[in-house]
Amino acid sequence: MWTYLIRRLAWNVPVYLGILLFIMIVLRVRDPVFARLPKNATEQDKADIRAELGLDQPFVAQYRDLLRQVCTLSFDQESWSHPGQTVGQIMKRSIGPSLAITVPALVFTTVLSVTVALCSAWFRGRLPDRLLVLTSVLGMSISFLVYIILGQYFAAFRMREITGIDLFAISYDPEVSGVGGMEFVTTVWPRYYLLPVLTSVVVAMGYDTRFYRAVMVEESSRDYIITARAKGAPQWRIMFVHMLKNAMIPIITRVATTLPFLITGSFLLERYFGIPGMGNQLLLAVESLDFPVVQAFTAVFAALYIATILLTDILYALVDPRVRLS
Amino acid sequence: MPHRAMLYAGCFVCLLLCAGCSSQEAPDASGSPAAAAAAAGRSDTSQTARVSDEEFRAAWEQRRASGNLKTARFPMRSDGPASLDPVRGSTMYENICASQILETLLQYKYFKRPFELEPLLLAEMPVCSDDGLTWRFRLRPDIRFHDDPCFPDGRGRTVTAADVFYSWKRLADTDTGSKSWWLLNGMIAGFDEFRETQNQAPQFDYDAEVPGLKIISDLEFEVTLTRPNQSFLWKLAMFQTAVVPREAVEKYGDQFGLRPVGTGPWILREGDWVQDVGIRFTRNPGYREVYFPTEFMPEDVEAGLTGGQGKRLPILDEIQVVFFKEDQPMWLQFRSGKLDYTQVPAENFRQAFNRRTGRLKREFRDQGMTGHAVPLLDFIFRAFNMDDPLLGGRSDKSRYLRQAICLALDWDEQNDAFYNGMNVVYDGVIPPGLPGHPEGGRSEHSYRGRDLERARKLLAKAGYPEGHGLPTIDYYTSRGGNGKEQTEMLTRQLSDLGITVKAHLLDFSQLIQKVNNRSAQFFSFAWASDYPDGENNLAIFYGPNASPGSNHFNYSNPEYDALYEQIVAMPPGEERTAIYERMQAILMEDCPYAGSMARTRYYIVTPQLKNFKPVETFSNWFKYLDVER
Repeated sequence: MWTYLIRRLAWNVPVYLGILLFIMIVLRVRDPVFARLPKNATEQDKADIRAELGLDQPFVAQYRDLLRQVCTLSFDQESWSHPGQTVGQIMKRSIGPSLAITVPALVFTTVLSVTVALCSAWFRGRLPDRLLVLTSVLGMSISFLVYIILGQYFAAFRMREITGIDLFAISYDPEVSGVGGMEFVTTVWPRYYLLPVLTSVVVAMGYDTRFYRAVMVEESSRDYIITARAKGAPQWRIMFVHMLKNAMIPIITRVATTLPFLITGSFLLERYFGIPGMGNQLLLAVESLDFPVVQAFTAVFAALYIATILLTDILYALVDPRVRLS
Repeated sequence: MPHRAMLYAGCFVCLLLCAGCSSQEAPDASGSPAAAAAAAGRSDTSQTARVSDEEFRAAWEQRRASGNLKTARFPMRSDGPASLDPVRGSTMYENICASQILETLLQYKYFKRPFELEPLLLAEMPVCSDDGLTWRFRLRPDIRFHDDPCFPDGRGRTVTAADVFYSWKRLADTDTGSKSWWLLNGMIAGFDEFRETQNQAPQFDYDAEVPGLKIISDLEFEVTLTRPNQSFLWKLAMFQTAVVPREAVEKYGDQFGLRPVGTGPWILREGDWVQDVGIRFTRNPGYREVYFPTEFMPEDVEAGLTGGQGKRLPILDEIQVVFFKEDQPMWLQFRSGKLDYTQVPAENFRQAFNRRTGRLKREFRDQGMTGHAVPLLDFIFRAFNMDDPLLGGRSDKSRYLRQAICLALDWDEQNDAFYNGMNVVYDGVIPPGLPGHPEGGRSEHSYRGRDLERARKLLAKAGYPEGHGLPTIDYYTSRGGNGKEQTEMLTRQLSDLGITVKAHLLDFSQLIQKVNNRSAQFFSFAWASDYPDGENNLAIFYGPNASPGSNHFNYSNPEYDALYEQIVAMPPGEERTAIYERMQAILMEDCPYAGSMARTRYYIVTPQLKNFKPVETFSNWFKYLDVER
């Protein structure tokens, strides 16, 4: 297995270097100097800003500097849109809030979707199955933004107006930004993060349920299921032990491909609920042509993506004895 | 399976845990508030009972001990400021936040309209020599910087003339990331040469002398201008020229923008600025003895805004500003009673205001809330690139073509469709409320549409009857907001004249690049006045300011330029206003732009917030506000 992993890693090094090169080239299609010119700017001002941003350096030198930051994991370049703050500091403070939404959302969505998919497969072709499929399709058909706007309006605003119960916050509060540990889990998270998480779960469930249902339905017609039934295994055991275990490969694949996106957060949820996460930072960086932030985010994301693919291969081997890493 | 579930649950809890981790100064030597008011240049004669430093501090300590601090919560519809270093700041949001902590030599009178300046750090308004070149300044003797570890004993020292010059020299230093050199560029004798020399030297020498900056004593100094310039005083009220202590800049370096030290009524404590979330301003316990203004407009008296009279500033103890990246959460938060005022988002305007009368709806009035319309000093326009071979130049043919395009555009329709009719459509380039703005917004020289018949005639005179033979015009605009829909309207309006437009929707950075490169043929842009004087708007048509300067039209007219150079030195008055009108007439005839429109921003204020007169031209008004809950 180690040989396999080392070989895969070696293959991925040029891919990774290519990704970094690509993002640097793509970013430089637009000149960030113009967006930073002061009023009544002169040609000298343009040259000064170009030098200040380090864009007067040869492209190779800029690429080398990015590689140095990646290799040493020290994203110490100053953000262009947040003077006085390094890219590393921005990532460090943004990653926690993003994960506080994306990780629970992924866990809830996966557990619920797989459960609903199993139920749907259980009742395959009958009314419960059709209702679940219909609900999934309806859920998928509505825009994420609509869920956010309506969720925020009804669950956070109207519920308080009608019932007096102030369960969910409309927007994040600066007062709670320093709260951590158990207090965060018990008080801050339910009030400020649970509604965004639920919104995310509702949106993602439609897609995931349909996918997992298809997997379960396919598995339910396999020979081993027929054999289990012939041997008189109870239905719950067939579904939750035999079928679910064999359906793990597509489930792992789907979950694994989602993992790198956990750190990128959700810019829509973050913007509407005022959560200072990575999604919002990345959006701001792209809008303001903040090259150091975009480059560093891409570098980390690409590394995670490659790592996740490798991890998925390892998990395949762990859950399915037929898979060999060689 | 149970083991896996436990593993997932364990990881989930761990991640949640990780996510969570993520002097009082002696009063003015002159003593009484009346004397202080006189020293501050106020023209009123009202008497205010003095609140001594001891009484002022004791009241605050008492509120703090009892947990009854006077706190207000305000919204800011943005991601917040990027830096509070005055030389790096340029946006309205940086202005709002920096203006609470840092102070300038002059400030706007809070209640006075039209806007007027008064001393802030100065003891009196600066005095100008007869030739209009030399200004003499005297600082108040009781100004101290905030207490901060950057000072030897942690106690803020008295502000001196050297601090003022040091702060201005930072604008000239390119290593500070200064974005606002344009404020003083070409203004002060020898300052441009100083900037050039020092930026080329290995080390920027802040102690090097500038011929036009002369220290007379610790509190007195003189500034000699290169030529008489009336905008100089306005610039001394802009936050970029705020006075900062050298000790703090040198101690905190790049971090100064994150923990600014100034002289203002509010301080920023460690951890009080949560990036992208909000910022909290805490009362500066060592703020000098100053009182609520006593000069009001009649409408202020009627609106009950005089209640702060006699109160020492700042009145509140803390102000929490929450950043909102979207309109809906800000609006809902206000409706939930968690904000003391709000701007009204465009999509909620009809919910709050009667569109026809502009009056706040009963639902809100019944709760004691008040509605306010604040006209902005805006100049929203479509610009012609005067360097363009088709649309530019000063030939009759190109002028007729531009005039025809102007007449085909319907600004009222645009205002109704996209702004609920809330904006002000006007002729000329000077926004409403400023001298030079045409009466009723209408000028006889204007080619503002819509007048299709006249437009057709001019198009034919330009050699393109019904648009025949006219090449497609490239129009550039920002893709943000409703840029796409507005472009569709413009395209349709011009197609009525037979003019074909190819629209290019760009990110703002791309648009500004295109404009600065002089390669945008016809484009949409806007100008927000830096100070309330029409000269600021007229400057964007001044020839030497051509792109990448602020004259994005690349307009050049020797007669106009000569008039501009004349008005720069002239004090406000009828003679100057007449020249403003003459200059606008030239612009309206030459049509380097099509316009104009100014935004109006609507506010709703809760009854518990006192003394609030919404304004967008200046930002240091937090100190006047009070809350009664």
